[in-house]
Amino acid sequence: MSQALESLMRLSAEAVPIAIPEWILQRRSEALGIALDQGLPTRQLEEWKNTSLERLDAMAFARVGPVSTAEPAGGDAPAPTGSGAAELVFVDGHLDSAASSLERLPEGVRALSLATTMREEPALLEGRLARLPELKSPTLVALQTGFMDDGAVIVIDPDTRAAEPIRMRFVSTGEGGDLPSATFPRLLVIAGRQSEARLFQEFTSAGNAKGLTAFVAELYLAPGARIDATTLQAESASRIHYTHSHAHLEGDARFDSTIFTLGRGLVRSELEVVLGEPGAETHMRGLFLGREAAHVDHFTTVDHVEANCTSHEEYRGVLADRSHGVFRGRVIVRPGAQKTEARQSNPNLLLDERARINTKPQLEIYADDVKASHGSTIGQLDAEALFFLRARGIGKAEARRVLTRAFAHGIVDRVADEDLAREIRTRIDIALAGLEEKPLPPLITAEEDPS
Amino acid sequence: MTEAPLVSIRNLHATAGGTPILAGINLELRAGEVHAVMGPNGSGKSTLSNVLVGKPGYEITEGEIEFRGKNLAAMDPEIRAREGVFLAFQYPVEIPGVANNYFLRAAVNAIRAHNGEEELDAIDFITLLREKMKLVEMPEEMMSRAINEGFSGGEKKRNEILQMLLLEPAFCILDETDSGLDIDALRVVANGVNQMRSPERAMLVITHYQRLLDHIVPDRVHVLSKGRIVRSGGKELALELEEKGYGWIEGDADEGSASDQRARVPSEGEGSTS
Repeated sequence: MSQALESLMRLSAEAVPIAIPEWILQRRSEALGIALDQGLPTRQLEEWKNTSLERLDAMAFARVGPVSTAEPAGGDAPAPTGSGAAELVFVDGHLDSAASSLERLPEGVRALSLATTMREEPALLEGRLARLPELKSPTLVALQTGFMDDGAVIVIDPDTRAAEPIRMRFVSTGEGGDLPSATFPRLLVIAGRQSEARLFQEFTSAGNAKGLTAFVAELYLAPGARIDATTLQAESASRIHYTHSHAHLEGDARFDSTIFTLGRGLVRSELEVVLGEPGAETHMRGLFLGREAAHVDHFTTVDHVEANCTSHEEYRGVLADRSHGVFRGRVIVRPGAQKTEARQSNPNLLLDERARINTKPQLEIYADDVKASHGSTIGQLDAEALFFLRARGIGKAEARRVLTRAFAHGIVDRVADEDLAREIRTRIDIALAGLEEKPLPPLITAEEDPS
Repeated sequence: MTEAPLVSIRNLHATAGGTPILAGINLELRAGEVHAVMGPNGSGKSTLSNVLVGKPGYEITEGEIEFRGKNLAAMDPEIRAREGVFLAFQYPVEIPGVANNYFLRAAVNAIRAHNGEEELDAIDFITLLREKMKLVEMPEEMMSRAINEGFSGGEKKRNEILQMLLLEPAFCILDETDSGLDIDALRVVANGVNQMRSPERAMLVITHYQRLLDHIVPDRVHVLSKGRIVRSGGKELALELEEKGYGWIEGDADEGSASDQRARVPSEGEGSTS
């Protein structure tokens, strides 16, 4: 067994048992069993060909979850950044209710912590939580499920229109000298018929937190529901960031996902969208910006199960320094999925000769009346545009920066919420300028847990 | 005019993408002068303009270009621009994601900084921009759009002239600025150019047709053929060319077509530029 799994199993055995329904406990232990059986994915697997988890493998985890079980003092919480939006703050995977502002939730929307829901309202989770078929695929979903004990549950009532985004911030803590910590936040979204909501998920590290963040989201969209989810991933270079999001769409539902990966460590981001009934539609977009020695892997799957569904996908990559990007876009069109429209593109900019990208579309089409297209490009900045700017007096370095920024901002233009879009543009600009991002103030100032 | 020329082009030989195009151009422009360069497709007109602004892919193989006594060829494109050389492009490029007003201010300030002038803040810049936009009859909403994105051919050319008005270069090169313009757009563009005529400034107007020269009246007209200036004269030369066609210049005595010319002189690189 790998050092990582071994240390996690030990921590799991030492953990204080939590009072949750038997069926969840059972699901967790089944998942843990699968994770142990499988071991960590290796590069021998097709899905992991370009990404090595050796770094994770070698980690001996010293803790799972927050430093101390005590609620952190409210005074240490940063002011909510949103403009009147509801915000849930998770510190090392657990809800920090003092830092969160749940009272601002739009009407018809419930946002609960998973821990509370498991204890007090498990019926809400039944038939939904941890039902993912991916439990058995070569992912970290099983491992994450084995450890899930907190996170967010968002329930949007039918016919609800929530204009303000519901914000979720996931912060990893710890300083450079720490032993690695693992956090396993979970998200469950249940969107009722004809409901509409925007979500914003942000992953950051306080200080130079070392370790693993493994996040799994399950989103269930009833007929006609619309979810627009934006994700910003900006964890520290010493963090391994794993996310797996699974959205299941019923008839005429629409799921928009826009992911910005600015982190400098090892990132594996998986997104699976199932268009389960006619008329469902998804728009999957992403921007990954690799710097320094970052390894950024995006693996997406869209599954056209039924007829008349649409998927549009565009992931853009900007790779600087020695960074390595991976994009894999899997499109499945099942035999009954006639009149499918599936478009995919993955343009990449390489800004340094040491930077690398592996990009692979993977189309598996079993229906005959299908419009499908895909295209991936790898290139440098447009020479004509670069020359045009220089011919107007703008220096070469500045011209390159302007064009790179324009390429990156092209994905931000898809973010409907203007405040959010502005915030993300600023974050991208800071990253592109090569400036050190100002570390967030630490959320916990308490003494380190000696155990 | 006894002072030194603003621009001296001496025995200029150049290649485009490795193909020899310019075969010994000699041209002098003094401040205050407007020269027109005319010529058939493939004569080297666009190569000349691209060489002057230092576009990658265009190499000087012999000869020199002096601008205000400095060796232009030794300068990077952005330095040429800051020193006061400007090309209004034949095919202005579209740049999605870069707003026109952002770009224009960056360009104006790059040039001001080079000249030791203070950079314009947003308010001063907008005031200047509005003033110049009126001259080319551009609606304000075009300024927040991406550079040339979704612009019509005429709008792109107006945008080029707007840039020229803002940057106030000492040496303006207009590469087929009339191509693809209807008569109204042509008038607007020509007005913009005429606004720029001044005793301190020289202009090189490159065109295939004479009609632009009805609006921008040149002091001198040069005819380019196979990479050389084969005839120079006053503005009447343009009219004469219009009347007699380029065969008059190209042919020896007969009026052979351009393809006949090529067939007879296969070693002459016509290039892919126009």
